[in-house]
Amino acid sequence: MSLTLVGAIGVSGLLLLLFIFGMPVGFSMAVVGFAGFSYVISFNAALNMTGSVFWSVCSRYGLTVIPLFIFMGQIAFYSGVNKRLYRAANKWVGHIQGGLAMATIIACSAFAAICGSNTATAATMSTVALPEMKKYGYSAVLSTGAIACGSTLGVVIPPSVVLIIIGLATEQSIARLFYGSIGAGVLLTLLLLLTIVVVCRIKPGLGLAAEKSTLKEKIASLSGGIEMLILFCLIMAGLYMGFFTPAEAGAAGAFFALLIAVITRTLSWDNFKKAVKDTLRVSCMVIMLIAGAMIFGRFLAITRIPYDLASFVACLEMSDTMIMICISLIYIAGGAIMDALALLLITIPIFFPLAMAMGYDPIWFSVTITIVTTLGAVTPPVGATTYVVAGIADNVLLKDVFKGVSMFLPAYLLTIFILILFPWIITWLPGLI
Amino acid sequence: MIDLLRKINSLQIFCGGCFLVCMVFLTCCNILFRQFGMPVRGTFEIMGFLGAMLFALSLGYSHDKKEHLYVSILFDRFPEKLRQVLQRINAMICGLFFSLLTWQLIKKALNMKSVGEVSETLQMIYYPFILVLAFGTFVLVLFIFYALFKKGGDSN
Repeated sequence: MSLTLVGAIGVSGLLLLLFIFGMPVGFSMAVVGFAGFSYVISFNAALNMTGSVFWSVCSRYGLTVIPLFIFMGQIAFYSGVNKRLYRAANKWVGHIQGGLAMATIIACSAFAAICGSNTATAATMSTVALPEMKKYGYSAVLSTGAIACGSTLGVVIPPSVVLIIIGLATEQSIARLFYGSIGAGVLLTLLLLLTIVVVCRIKPGLGLAAEKSTLKEKIASLSGGIEMLILFCLIMAGLYMGFFTPAEAGAAGAFFALLIAVITRTLSWDNFKKAVKDTLRVSCMVIMLIAGAMIFGRFLAITRIPYDLASFVACLEMSDTMIMICISLIYIAGGAIMDALALLLITIPIFFPLAMAMGYDPIWFSVTITIVTTLGAVTPPVGATTYVVAGIADNVLLKDVFKGVSMFLPAYLLTIFILILFPWIITWLPGLI
Repeated sequence: MIDLLRKINSLQIFCGGCFLVCMVFLTCCNILFRQFGMPVRGTFEIMGFLGAMLFALSLGYSHDKKEHLYVSILFDRFPEKLRQVLQRINAMICGLFFSLLTWQLIKKALNMKSVGEVSETLQMIYYPFILVLAFGTFVLVLFIFYALFKKGGDSN
């Protein structure tokens, strides 16, 4: 049996375990990688490889960045930063038509600058922003759609765990990835805001204006979340100036977030314990995914599937843009049935070498596919954030949330299209480092 | 059985939380002291070991809380009976895999002990950290096998 065929059987076996047996993604990748390696080399070699990879992944200094950044986000989350950010955004833009929905997007993007969790953002924003929008007679379709889509910004705007993992998996500079994603994140945020403006112009009844705040109230509202945004700027500046590495940035960020929360008395002891527990739980899940992907990647490497695929595509008579569009469609379809993080870890060993062989910029490719897979968080049938919003919102049907999300889908597609047409939006900032 | 496992988990989470806080403070001290030309020696090594223990000690907890991502698109649509059967097969495969991994990690740790392998910078023995990782995977195996033998095939 040829190695490529063994690899193809391995990939099919992985899908079988994932879809039929409902096995956790990290476990599936490790099991298939181990079984495939045993078949191609030997059982003992596979056992040695698995043990060594598992230990090296768990004890790798570079991976300590994951719990540290997650910890920073959890502290911000449990100290109620996103609530304060929403109130501040509300004071500034709430008085314009669709303003409360816009405030939700702005608050989500600001919170994304500290926390990378989609579902945490969706949960809090649903409890904070939904009652406010309901009070002003906002349509449930617009309000839930804005929350579900706004919460996806956490993955795109740095510091994002997904970008960290892509950086580690593809051996790229995490700082450069962070800088590359700023332009894309800002573009997506602006297009989401523009969607609300357009939708409210077409159907004014969807989002009515709230009462106007005075300048004094507006300025006073900034104190609620400005300290965390200063923290974000400190982290990005520290990375830019080489003051600290990404892992150190995570630790410094967590330390300052903790310090701010203690000084402002916004984090209780119970919430601190919850933040620690959540950090351990989520970090473990992420590191298990990486360990599984590494074991699976070793198996793929010996079957030479990524290289064969790259050679095959190189022989096709298709333009690079068409190939990129095909890859994007695969990611959109994959993102619709699987979590973005898991999908990226499974497919990066296959598609990243292909993209490099086609001459794409690694930062541009990584950021673009991150946005493409992000779509999966709001589209059926998986759409994790959509379920969270529908679960928390009272008297709102899941189909209404999906209907709301569908209004924002053109913004995502337009972002991807613009990024393909103008790659410098992503590449110019990392080019300055 | 599950109560005992959850007690072990609580203890593990307490230790894991302490390691997390240690990681934050150790890194911050290193950043600070480095500005004065006195970086904390071996920070990278200690951070790696603390990270490994943090992961090891949260494996059981994360599994118990069903944190690990799985693809639910087909699985959740199966009839209850079929899901239970599949969950048991799933638990058998995972249980076997992590048992082998635990055994391999113990073997690796004992091998390192016998050759006296030490870390590069601090020259400290590090096989105990591998044993902690093996303990973490062992607790995970216990959770998986508990789910396998429990009615319904689920630890929760």
